[in-house]
Amino acid sequence: MKYLDLAMNAAEKLGVEYADIRIQKTTEQVIFLQNLSLKHTSNNVLQGFGIRVFKDGAWGFAHSNVFSDEAVLATVKKAVETATLSAEVNKTKKLRLAPERSYISTYKTPVKIDPFSVPVSEKIDLMMEVSRTMLAYEGIKKTLLIMIMHKDEKLFASTLGTRLDLTTQFINPMITAVAVTESDSQSRTFDEGGRAVGWEWILELDLIDKAKQIAEEALIKVKADTLGAEERRSLVLDPNHLGLTMHESVGHATELDRVLGWEADYAGVSFATPEKLNNYHYGSELINFVGDNTLEGGLATLGFDDDGVPGQKWYIIKDGILKEYGSTRDTALEIGLIASRGCNRATYYFNQPINRIPNLYLLPGTKPLTPGELIADTEDGIYIQGRGSYSIDHHRINFQFGGDFFWEIKNGKLIRPLKKVIYKSCNPEFWNSCDAICDERFWRPFGVVNCGKGQPPQTGRMTHGSSTARFRNIRVGGSQ
Amino acid sequence: MNSEKIVQYIQKHCIADDWTLNITKDDSHETRFAQNVITQHIAGAMKEISLSVSFGSKAGSCTVNQDDEESLAYLVKTAEEIAKLAPEDPEFVPSAGKMDIPEIVNCDPQTKALEPKQLVDIVQNSINRAKTYGATVSGLTEKHIETNGLFTKNGFSGEYEKSDFGHSMTLKKDEVETKVAYEAKNFAAFNLETLLEKLFNQASTLAVKQTFEPQKIAVLLRPLALQELFWFMGWMMDRRYADEGITPFTDQLGKLFLGEKFSWFSTYKQPTLLAPPFTSDGIIAEEIPWVEKGVLKNLSTSRYWAKKIGSKPCNNYNMFIPGEGYTEEEMLQMVPRGLIVNSFWYIRSVDVKAGEFTGTTRDGVWYFENGKIQYAVNNLRFNEIPHTATKRIIATGISELANPSSLLPAMLIDNFNFVDKTSF
Repeated sequence: MKYLDLAMNAAEKLGVEYADIRIQKTTEQVIFLQNLSLKHTSNNVLQGFGIRVFKDGAWGFAHSNVFSDEAVLATVKKAVETATLSAEVNKTKKLRLAPERSYISTYKTPVKIDPFSVPVSEKIDLMMEVSRTMLAYEGIKKTLLIMIMHKDEKLFASTLGTRLDLTTQFINPMITAVAVTESDSQSRTFDEGGRAVGWEWILELDLIDKAKQIAEEALIKVKADTLGAEERRSLVLDPNHLGLTMHESVGHATELDRVLGWEADYAGVSFATPEKLNNYHYGSELINFVGDNTLEGGLATLGFDDDGVPGQKWYIIKDGILKEYGSTRDTALEIGLIASRGCNRATYYFNQPINRIPNLYLLPGTKPLTPGELIADTEDGIYIQGRGSYSIDHHRINFQFGGDFFWEIKNGKLIRPLKKVIYKSCNPEFWNSCDAICDERFWRPFGVVNCGKGQPPQTGRMTHGSSTARFRNIRVGGSQ
Repeated sequence: MNSEKIVQYIQKHCIADDWTLNITKDDSHETRFAQNVITQHIAGAMKEISLSVSFGSKAGSCTVNQDDEESLAYLVKTAEEIAKLAPEDPEFVPSAGKMDIPEIVNCDPQTKALEPKQLVDIVQNSINRAKTYGATVSGLTEKHIETNGLFTKNGFSGEYEKSDFGHSMTLKKDEVETKVAYEAKNFAAFNLETLLEKLFNQASTLAVKQTFEPQKIAVLLRPLALQELFWFMGWMMDRRYADEGITPFTDQLGKLFLGEKFSWFSTYKQPTLLAPPFTSDGIIAEEIPWVEKGVLKNLSTSRYWAKKIGSKPCNNYNMFIPGEGYTEEEMLQMVPRGLIVNSFWYIRSVDVKAGEFTGTTRDGVWYFENGKIQYAVNNLRFNEIPHTATKRIIATGISELANPSSLLPAMLIDNFNFVDKTSF
């Protein structure tokens, strides 16, 4: 597109060290059903461009939704003016960009059936049937169903000579059943957090079967016992639950911008500081976390990040030891890295990209082990499925997590369902207490599509994954 | 294309039985700094045009951010196509009709006139002062001018402008971390020196910390901490969810369900408070008591639920909690010992039916005894039920602006339930 060259030429003429332009069209279809009332069905299209310039050790970013030569040139000028103002402040400490080569490339999320090609009526019919299935259970008083289909089409150019054409997308179905009794209400949710795939995934999921399962489990949960006083017990955590646990306690803790204090005013900092690299026992020797922006179906598998850096795969924690971070071009050199890991991403065209968690997953155990065998090997513990309440401090150390469905384990057996279970732990206690991880047959990915970070706030997406794993001697109890 | 022309286009081209048009514009400037360096700097204007249409009770929506005729044609066509494919909605309500919209001043000309250079000067001055103090500072300096318009086929027509200026600073010196912030619709009341003085005072009292074990203890929650806690409770104060038995507010309307020292209003009569005159679906701002001396008076009610139960729709658009006027010093004398909490972080629901939440303290916790602050302590985690905590209110302070939408006092609350501690 002509605006790419127009913007880059104009920026170079204005004497910037680096500039890029991201022309982005985001198309989103959202269907929201509550019981049998279709609360919201919409198609949203947001398009525009963001121009980022780097001058005298400082960024300037300006955006516009007007596509014309005049608007592009005015936006370049505004970005340069903004960077010039920043540079005055940064005189004594300049930002630096890690070197990167140029690329001319395309990337497209592989999909078999484009969700946007499926008629809206077919999606609504499916969701209505799913909702009816849950409401047919006596005691299910409310159902909530959300289906999000999201596509980003980006053209990216930089003064390095990079030219990228990227089309990425994901789909995220979520269904919730709420059971209500005289004294309590409890919900159960099916939510795999979204996946960068097509409608074929929805067809494979069998949402009707999932609806039956969560409705039945919501009814079990609302009548279930509570756990009582906090004690130290074993936890067996399923991959969906672990997805959010690793997101909060490892993913955010190893974003390099937090480590550098760039998020100190809002999202917080990180205890996992650079002097801990290559020597800090983040977890037991079973713990291997990989950053992987090439993961098939991964929500952060985008071909390139918004610095124009290609997707990569690297160890963040290896054999329990902290090895590296998720980094960007403007953070990497601060700790002596020679290049970015490609984790700079923006949500919409009007957002300046920020350091994001990559697709981050826990490698499976290397010895054959099934979830059933793991539970059979556990004398006294709690098995947690799904995501519930989660809260972690602003240094990413102390946390309290709930879940969506709970079973008490006694002598290797699931003896009774529970509700309102919470556990408290901290880094590095939690990941060092891991003594068993099921093997690769049971490894499953789970996405996060609503990761809030930044000022102004942005919503990021990435995929996590693991097999079911066990953690010993964790403080577990019932809520008040 | 201005709003009037967009409305005219929809009136001319939309063939649906009913429609609701929302037009939002935001012109903003955001300067983000960290560790004494500007790390992000953003300028630009945005516009979003959303159209919801219906044929009978079959509804569909579309949003675009371009206002040329081709984009508006797509907007109308897409919304209409979706609506035609949708099933009948048993909870459908027609769009809002013509209403008297209260005149509320939400936009401050001085805020609107702020130039990027003025914002950057505030950042520069903050960094210079932090350096002199031997510290680093991180924060956000921002200005937003936002316009919201709502127009319907049934005659609702309104547009209002609001301004927002914010400057936050988190100071870091050795192990000390603490934050102050100003955010309001009016720039006039902003005083950087006052804010910096507060920041350095807070920092100086946090230099030496002692370990404090979690326990139930009296706590003086400063306005920002209280706002964060009650905002989450407010999120649960929904009439439908109460009537359906999901939240703790089921069957509690009209009853003394909270503490008698606790009242909460939404109001457009407090000049410093931001008060949008209407919601995106046309609920008009009114003077609403949510809780009055502990009695649950109202719960947020959607237009559909109001119609179903024969009530009036209402929306919790801001938080005004009146205080008794005690100073912090006076309140510290009222209990033998306790903690002062500056703010909370990462509050999340633990149990919806019980109304229980968890979260941690942030930016400063101090232990006091015999009416005086003794020393700073580590951060703590709480598990607490805010509506029952209001029954333990001992005293309240002077209402002050915690953010543009919240005017509330510090509160001294007994037996606040801290359950865990952090290592910092």
